[in-house]
Formats: sequence, C-alpha cells, structure tokens
Amino acid sequence: MAGVRLVGLTKRFGTMVAVDNLSVEFPDAQVTCLLGPSGCGKTTLLRMIAGLEQPTAGQIFFDRDEVAEWSSSRRNVGMVFQSPVVYPGLTVFDNVALPLRGTLPGPELRKRVGDVLELVELQAVAQRKVDTLGNAERQKVSVARAVARRPRVLLFDEPVTNIAAGERITLKRAFKRLTTEVHLTLVYVTHDQTEAMTLADHIAVMQDGRLVQYGPPRAVYRAPRDRFVGWFLGNPGMNFVQTRAGIEDGAALFAGVQGAADLALVGFRPEYVAVSPVPEPGYVPARVVRAPITVGGQRLLTLQAGETTFKAKTHYRQAYTAGQTVYVNLPADQLRWFDPAGAALLRGTPGRRGTGPDGE
Amino acid sequence: MKPKVKARLQQGFLWLVAVAFFLPVLWLFLAAFKTASQILAIPPRWIFRPTWQGLTYMASHQAFWSHAVNSVVISLSAVVIAIVVSFVAAYSFSRFRLRGTNFMMFVLLSIRMVPGAAVVVPMYLMYTALGWINSYPGIILFYAMFSIPFSVWILKGFIDGVSPRFDEAAQSDGASRLHVMFRIVLPQVLPGIVAAFIFNTIFVWNEFLFDFIIGGNQVATIPVALASGLYTSQGIDWQYIASLTFVYTLPLMVVIYFFQKYLLVGMTFGTVRGEV
Repeated sequence: MAGVRLVGLTKRFGTMVAVDNLSVEFPDAQVTCLLGPSGCGKTTLLRMIAGLEQPTAGQIFFDRDEVAEWSSSRRNVGMVFQSPVVYPGLTVFDNVALPLRGTLPGPELRKRVGDVLELVELQAVAQRKVDTLGNAERQKVSVARAVARRPRVLLFDEPVTNIAAGERITLKRAFKRLTTEVHLTLVYVTHDQTEAMTLADHIAVMQDGRLVQYGPPRAVYRAPRDRFVGWFLGNPGMNFVQTRAGIEDGAALFAGVQGAADLALVGFRPEYVAVSPVPEPGYVPARVVRAPITVGGQRLLTLQAGETTFKAKTHYRQAYTAGQTVYVNLPADQLRWFDPAGAALLRGTPGRRGTGPDGE
Repeated sequence: MKPKVKARLQQGFLWLVAVAFFLPVLWLFLAAFKTASQILAIPPRWIFRPTWQGLTYMASHQAFWSHAVNSVVISLSAVVIAIVVSFVAAYSFSRFRLRGTNFMMFVLLSIRMVPGAAVVVPMYLMYTALGWINSYPGIILFYAMFSIPFSVWILKGFIDGVSPRFDEAAQSDGASRLHVMFRIVLPQVLPGIVAAFIFNTIFVWNEFLFDFIIGGNQVATIPVALASGLYTSQGIDWQYIASLTFVYTLPLMVVIYFFQKYLLVGMTFGTVRGEV
C-alpha cells in the first residue's frame, strides 16, 4: 500500500478544465472519498491516478515514486468501475485469479483468491460462471479481482451507482468489511454523501475541478469551508440566510445588532433547528409553508419566520400541517458564518444570543 | 375464410415459389447422379437409378483435386489473413478514434463497392509488373485485401459493443495491449469473427473473375474450372460439370444452413447483431 500525493494536477480537454491545479495527499491505508456533483472532475482525477488519463500538468506520487509517466499496468493499481467489469465465460474464481496467473505458485494463488472471495462473501459461488450472477455480485467479483492483486492503491469509481437499490446495501457492507479488515489505500469516487460518510476516513469535496475541502467526514460536515460544501453535504443542505454582521479580519464579530454594517451569510443545518408546536422561552414564531414531507424517518419542514424561509428536520412523530404556526430556536453554537461571497468566516462571537435565523 | 386456412394457403404458395427457385439447383444435383446419356435424355428423366459414375469419373480427374485443394486453401488462408488484419484494424478504429475514423471507414467500404470489372485491368497490369500472376501469395493477398473492408466493418460493430472499461480494467490489472486485444476483447467478439469468417469465405469461394484474370492454371479454383473445363473433344462434358457443381455447392449450403444468423450480420455490416 502507498499514500497518494497529487501536486498541481491539471487536466484540460480542449478549453474545458476538468481538474484545475489540484494538490492533495491521500494518506496510506486510509479510505478517501472524492465527493462532488456530476461533472466536478472527480472521475477524471481518479482516472489520472489510475493512469488511464494523461494529466495536462502536475505530478502524481505513490509514496516517493513519481508515477505520472508510468503506464497503468506499471503503477500497480486496482480499479473498479461504475459498471461491473468481469470476464465473461470464466468462473468467479478464474476471474479473480486471471491477473495473478503466472505470478504466484498454485497453492498460494488458490489461498489468496479464496481469502479475497471470502472477504466479499462470494466463496459459495466461486465455481459458477460470472455470466450467471447478478450485477451486485459481478461488482463484488471485480472488487475481489482488484483487491487480490494487492495493488498499491485501490481506485473505485462510483461502484454502486449502476447497482439496483436493493442490492447496494450488500455491496456497501462488503466495502465496509473490506476497509476495516484489510488496510487499503482506497480512493473512492461518489456523488452519494451517505456513502462517503459511512466509508471514508477522509472526504475530499470537489467543485468545478478544484478541491474545496478535505478532512474527516464529521469535521467537513460540521464546519464547511464555504457555502457550496455546506449546501452540498446534508440532505437537505445547510440553510443560508443573509444578514448584517460586523466582520473584522475574516471573523464574524457580532451580528444582528443595530448598526452592523457588513453583509454576511449565516448558515445552519436543518436538523439543528429546534421546533416546538407550543411557545417556549427563547423561541420565535414561524409558519409552516408547505405540507411536510418525510425523509429517512424524519419530517422535513419548510418554515417561514419574518421574511426568511428555511428548512428544519423534526422527529417524524410530530405532525404539522401547512399554515400552522410553530416556534423555533437555533442554538448559537450551531451557526456558521460566511462572507457574502460564500467563504467561511472564523467562528465569531455574535453580539446577541442567536435565536431566530435572522438574529431577531 | 378462416385465418388458419388462409395462413395455410399462404404457406403453400411460399413453398411453391421456393421449390420453383430451387428446381434448377435440384436438376443439377440430380444430374450428378445420372449417367451421361440420362443427363441429356429427352424427355427429361425424373425417375432413374442413381449412380456414382459421375462422381467417380470426376474424382479420377487429376485437375479436379488440384482445383478443389486450391479453392479450400485459397479461401481459408485469404480469410484468415483478412480476419487477423481486420481485428487489429477494427480494434484500433474502435478504441483510438483518430481524427477521420468515420471517413476512413467510409473509404474502406467504398473500395469494396467498386465493381470488379472496373479494376480488373489495372490489377492485371499491376500483377504482371510484380510477377504475381498465377502465384499463391498473389491470389491469396488479393482475396485477403478484398475481404478486409467487410470484416473491419463487422468487427468494429462488435468491438464497439465491448465497453472500453474492459480494456482499462485489464490494463490496470497489469495486462499488455496485446493481451487486452486477444485475451479480453477477442473472446467477447467471437460471434463477429464467425460472421466475418463465414461471409468472406462464401465470397472468396464463389469468386471467379479475378482468379480467372490474375490467377492461372496453378491457382485455378473450382469456379474457374467450371468455366474453363466445359469443353472436351466430344462437346460439353455435362457429367463432369454436374458432379463438380454438386461437390462445390454442397459445403456452402451446409455452412449457410448452420450459420444463417451470422450471414445476416455480414449482410448488415455488423449493425444487426442481436441474434448472435
């Protein structure tokens, strides 16, 4: 296994910049998820690490080896694609064993393949032809083939996207097992944040070919570096409300007080909005704008307080109807401050207790 | 009329048409098992005692064996060369997508569409200049050249159907480009290989004009033998012709019967390949 270090990596297709001067280090034996919306360059980045795409500029290191000029086979990477790649007509065992043939003696090869098949729970079908398997199992075969070679770096390109929803969970469970039992340097591309949150030791959020934020999943979630990350992570993403604040040296010093001159954005996650059907001390009234919908066992409310519309998540047992008046409170320590352009400000000391989203 | 009766009548009619078209072939096949006098008998003899006389007579000809061997050797070797070249070419067209790929594919096919009569004289002059007239390499290369365009078209269609992810996965697994082509992609386009093989073998097996002009005694195939071996001192040797036609057509009919669906692939340049 090896750590992956990218230095000033750039890829242009004609005039389109897919990856823009990106530098980052993915640590050895850890799982890094590349997360971002479609077309943000994450797949291109992965393909450059795999050696399937030539970078326009920049360097790629596996530990101390500069591999940008190396062919894909010399880099010794294991790649898993969006659609399962299995060699038709061969058994599951032969599919996994194919790249190892000639490099390992028979007994060792059988043990190596057997171990990996057990890890992805395919040992029961080892002698079946891959053609008889479903998509999820085929994807497990291609994962097993990539892992069995013990590559320096494993690269997964949205491996569950083309798998039927019901079968995804078994694949994800297999990945989780893989990442906890074998220490792999895994770079995992996904646009599904839940996947990233479950699997990753670190996530790297990309936008328009640039790396926006890199860090442990919870940290990125709690303290997004800019408006995009806050909006992109979370389901739904962060609420943003424009307000006035005093900004000094990149920090929000106070907010919502008379005379605050600077425009600022305050962001807060829907799940941190406390909602009560009855008035409570420190709560401000808000109106339920739309009939609530249920998301993942939680009720998602669209609320309006004063001129401000925002979303809140509550327990599914609480029933609300459109037009109803509710009472909301926002804990001050859950507010994140951004400048008008969307870049995060240092944690400030807002001038008053943050109660309403617009500082009422 | 009941629909069932109507369908029966339609089927009967179709059978009638089919039999009418097959009748001359059947007549030749019957002739292969007649004696020389029975072939020319008037009124025609439909009922007769079959005899091996014609076939043994044909087999006793030294020339028959050389023509038969030529036909087999020339068709098979030309098509094998064509398929190897075409597979590599089709793989490149499919994967590297150089600028002008579509235009090159078009040019390739249009070469094949030029009528033989239009190029036979220049070909003859070229072959004379090269000294390739009446030589195996010469005629085999010519037929290979003629078989390549169709094969490239058929195989490109099939290779396009194999996701490039297979190539990439195998390459990152440590495979070389040749390994990818022949061990990963080739097994998945075998139906296309079979289609190209059958289609071009039939073409070369049937080709007359070029073997007649740029070939010669040494490389004459059965079609040339049929045309040139017609006359003996006693006139046209119908018994020889009937037997030779029978032996020449039979393998094709068997092949076509068993590989019908592959022929469809060939005739549509590989664009229709759902069934294979």
